[in-house]
Amino acid sequence: MAIAQVVDLVKTYRMGAVEVHALRGVDLAINEGDYMAIMGPSGSGKSTFLNLLGCLDTPTRGSYFLGEQDVARLSDAQLSHIRCHRIGFIFQSYNLIQQLSVVENIEVPLYYQGRSAHESRLRATALAEQVGLADRATHRPHELSGGQQQRVAIARAMANDPFIILADEPTGNLDSATGTEILALLDSLSQQGKTIITVTHDEHVATSAHRVVRFGDGRIVSDT
Amino acid sequence: MLGFRVQRTVSMGLKSLWLHKLRAVLTALGIILGVTSVIVMLAVGEGASQAVQAQIRQLGSNNIILRSKKPPEDSSTASATTFALSYGLKYLDAERIKATVPQADVIVPARHIDSEYIVRYHHRVSGTVVGTVPWYTEVAKRTLSQGRFLTSLDMHRRATVCVLNGPIVRKLFPFHDPLGAVVKAGSSDYRVVGVLEGRNAAPGANGAASEGSGVEIYVPITTLQSRYGDTIFKRRSGQFQATQVELHRIIVRSPSLDEVVPISKAVEQILAYGHTKQDYEVVVPLQLLESAEETKRLTNLLLGSIAAISLLVGGIGIMNIMLATVTERTREIGIRRALGARRTDIIVQFLTETILLAAGGGLLGVALGVVLPHHVVTRFFDAPTIVTARPCILAFSVSVGVGLIFGIYPAYRAATMDPIEALRHE
Ligand SMILES: Nc1ncnc2c1ncn2[C@@H]1O[C@H](COP(=O)(O)OP(=O)(O)O)[C@@H](O)[C@H]1O
Ligand SMILES: [Mg+2]
Repeated sequence: MAIAQVVDLVKTYRMGAVEVHALRGVDLAINEGDYMAIMGPSGSGKSTFLNLLGCLDTPTRGSYFLGEQDVARLSDAQLSHIRCHRIGFIFQSYNLIQQLSVVENIEVPLYYQGRSAHESRLRATALAEQVGLADRATHRPHELSGGQQQRVAIARAMANDPFIILADEPTGNLDSATGTEILALLDSLSQQGKTIITVTHDEHVATSAHRVVRFGDGRIVSDT
Repeated sequence: MLGFRVQRTVSMGLKSLWLHKLRAVLTALGIILGVTSVIVMLAVGEGASQAVQAQIRQLGSNNIILRSKKPPEDSSTASATTFALSYGLKYLDAERIKATVPQADVIVPARHIDSEYIVRYHHRVSGTVVGTVPWYTEVAKRTLSQGRFLTSLDMHRRATVCVLNGPIVRKLFPFHDPLGAVVKAGSSDYRVVGVLEGRNAAPGANGAASEGSGVEIYVPITTLQSRYGDTIFKRRSGQFQATQVELHRIIVRSPSLDEVVPISKAVEQILAYGHTKQDYEVVVPLQLLESAEETKRLTNLLLGSIAAISLLVGGIGIMNIMLATVTERTREIGIRRALGARRTDIIVQFLTETILLAAGGGLLGVALGVVLPHHVVTRFFDAPTIVTARPCILAFSVSVGVGLIFGIYPAYRAATMDPIEALRHE
């Protein structure tokens, strides 16, 4: 069953008189439990697509159904609500908040859900343990290695128990050994039944993903 | 639920400020100093004004004080070097006032002989001999520290008795009890029957209370009259000058505060009728009090505007730093937005920080403002200070308001950033 579906999705950036066509019409259905790898050359629109899926941005044209709801034309507050409850983000550069500790970073999505401090702390601690950072719970991001920081980011992405986890080149800043560890963590999430979409340049990922979608110049060129 | 949210927001704001403690304090410095200086200035103003009011009250709010004044010299009086220069209040003035304004209770005539030598054995001081009436103490609000004041019998008998004030006692009787002793003033001897208590230094305004601080000896006005006559001779720059002043002062007491001004008007008319020259002055302590209050109101207005400006400057300082903070934390804002923060959440976050900063500054300013006047101004500058609650509450509320107003724009800037752009920010 498709939990997310995009129809003829178009995103055009306007820079003065010049129009940049980042996405030229993308159709895709994402099923529950999918583990999808998005590949393609730089500038082919992968990040743009992921941001649209993550409700960080709205498309110029086309529809995006998340569950029953067309989220393509929602207000900023409504999009925030969807990000808060249904989306988990993992970024290439980790994007942890530097002044917060590991557990506090994991708690951020729960804060915006209005969960109680006690409940948030319990859940965040459990997640830190799950990604193997129980002993680092009170450390600050700058005291951690890149791989460890990305584990925190993964724990944070799972904190709100999202529909979809979106990862934009999660291993891009890591050496191959650490990258493999991170991918193993994503694999295990997928095995737990999470829906995961990850942008990657690593052909290796393609083997563990169920589906590989290749982008080229704002369009899907293959879907296997 | 709301309380819980507020608590979490505030604790998040405090945490964030705590991270840059020094910066926070420096940012709030404008507010701190603004609030402190307002409270200190108002405390000094209040202290001074209370002191002035107390001094004016000592003159008696019900009193109208008439004093003889040497008229401005003009050609008609230039020839007065050969004749006695006659000016000032007359016994007749006192009579007329008594007859015309019967509701005015007590009328105290007084006459001064200045620069007279007062002698006891080999101690000698120069002072003023004041001829007055028994009810002088009651009207002028003076109290006796020893003995009694002059009586009607003294008046009637033209008795050679006197009452001394504090300064003269200290000079003539450093070791002895003055009561019963005899002092010589001019050419007559007087027996001391009482000592007046000292009075605070006179307020500058018109020298209204100038008596009481110098060396003074009080004798029955009738005695003075018989000893000195109406004409006083004095050597001045080689020439003898004669002046004729019947009364130096008349105090008219109104039975109620409401009648002070009408009675003073009536008295002025009576005097204007009897005098061709402006050789007297009328001092109304109640009006002095009113003008002192008006002055205070104006001063407060001025201080208020200074306060407003300094808090404005403080607010601009805070806004400046908050704008820098927002830019510095662009990435954080992007992350929070991606993780589900609404624009409102971001606005609340930054607005809370700004308000906490301003309110903290205001609180610190109030604390300093409460402590400094007493422990620094009064102790080291010897100025009376009174800290009242009103400016403290006002200054604190204004600080919070400043935080709110100057926090809105930075918070708005933070909230309207594009999340994707913000996430890419280095
Ligand atoms: N904010 C933007 N403004 C203008 N052009 C943009 C913006 N974001 C992306 N683009 C353009 O859209 C295209 C797709 O970019 P992106 O989705 O980041 O590619 P990828 O992630 O596949 O490398 C690129 O040509 C890029 O320059
Ligand atoms: Mg990209």
